[in-house]
Amino acid sequence: MKYFKVIGVAAAFCLAIILSSTLICHAYEDTQCFQCHTSAKKLIEATREIAKTRPALKSAETSGEG
Amino acid sequence: MEPLAPHEKIFVDSDIVDDENHGEIACHECHGGNPDDPNWKTAHKGVMKDPTYPDATAACGDCHDEINENYQKSLHASLRPYKLIMDERASSNTVIRNKLGCAMDTHCSECHSSCGQCHISRPNSVEGGFLDGHLFQKKPPMQEVCTACHGSRIQKEYLGEHEGLLPSIHKKKYMKCDKCHTGEEMHGNGKDYAHRYDVENGPKCVDCHKEIYKRESTNVITHRIHKDKASCHVCHSQPYNNCSACHVGKDKQGLAFFKTKSSWVDFKIGLNPLKSEKRPEKFVTLRHVPVDKKTFDYYVKDALSNFDTLPSWKLATPHNIRLKTKQNANCNACHGNESLFLLEKDVEDNEKEANKNVIVPVNLIPKRQKWQPK
Repeated sequence: MKYFKVIGVAAAFCLAIILSSTLICHAYEDTQCFQCHTSAKKLIEATREIAKTRPALKSAETSGEG
Repeated sequence: MEPLAPHEKIFVDSDIVDDENHGEIACHECHGGNPDDPNWKTAHKGVMKDPTYPDATAACGDCHDEINENYQKSLHASLRPYKLIMDERASSNTVIRNKLGCAMDTHCSECHSSCGQCHISRPNSVEGGFLDGHLFQKKPPMQEVCTACHGSRIQKEYLGEHEGLLPSIHKKKYMKCDKCHTGEEMHGNGKDYAHRYDVENGPKCVDCHKEIYKRESTNVITHRIHKDKASCHVCHSQPYNNCSACHVGKDKQGLAFFKTKSSWVDFKIGLNPLKSEKRPEKFVTLRHVPVDKKTFDYYVKDALSNFDTLPSWKLATPHNIRLKTKQNANCNACHGNESLFLLEKDVEDNEKEANKNVIVPVNLIPKRQKWQPK
């Protein structure tokens, strides 16, 4: 009977750990960051929008080997 | 290296949740921003693109505390040798030095690395982009990280991209950069080094080629005769890339640019400018580096008025090693062969003073040999 109690407590402990880590994963998978940055479609739309307004980042005058 | 489309650069592989070490860290814990805001424009307010530069403590320090502490002084992060060299060449005038400092911040400081720019993304200096969907790479991939920056010299030499030259024998043995340049070397050991050749755990040929001075070794005589006289590269490098004058400035839009004159492939043996216990050889391979007295003229005239204090032909360790080379075909392929040595006539007039200590006087060129070992 004593062994059953120990095994029961250990099992509950492991279950709690597994559930909590799953919950953490789910918590961050639900964020807007994750939703958008794992969607190629959303990123293509956003980067196209950025490209319309973004000024050039590199000078065309650069020449030669760096 | 294939360029990445803008969306590819920031696409996160959802498998990151399975990363047992990093998968439970939410994006905003490192990058900031508002993870609950559905509008990407406002959600990104305050976002740090690379939370590991200049200080990786908050992002990486909790777990990788020792690496994080040392990395601050690693040459890839600190760029200390660049600064020291320019300090030495710079004018002593404080106003000029300040202007030079601004120019270096604009042009030179861009070429650094960070935890993120090796293990997560391509370096910023080559426009970034995740290596593999933000999955953490324990070993940075050679061509997307190492040679992305070290391209015009190391990559071309190592892969044999110069016309008529072979790749390094180490490439043929499928060795990647990290085989010689270990993580410990890259991360630093907490010491402030003045030069990359001072780094204590930097690679040495004899780390692997331990047997070359032993009696039973092939070519033992040749190796023993040349020990401390010529560096390994003097006999085993092929010709390598040399760069000339780099000039920096800003265009009409205020964007920074650089222009280098033509580069050329050559092989020059010179006197060792960094002679030390670790590098006792008299003769080493020298490479011309892309600097001249007018490099920073756009920002301030005479910034490098002490240009002559350091050579512009610098100790080089070309990455195109072969067992057999033209200069080691036999003794007299090198001995008495003036064309292999950096002579006064090979150096531009306005750089002769700077290079006086590395130019080989004709009388120091090893004489032709009558006897040759079998």
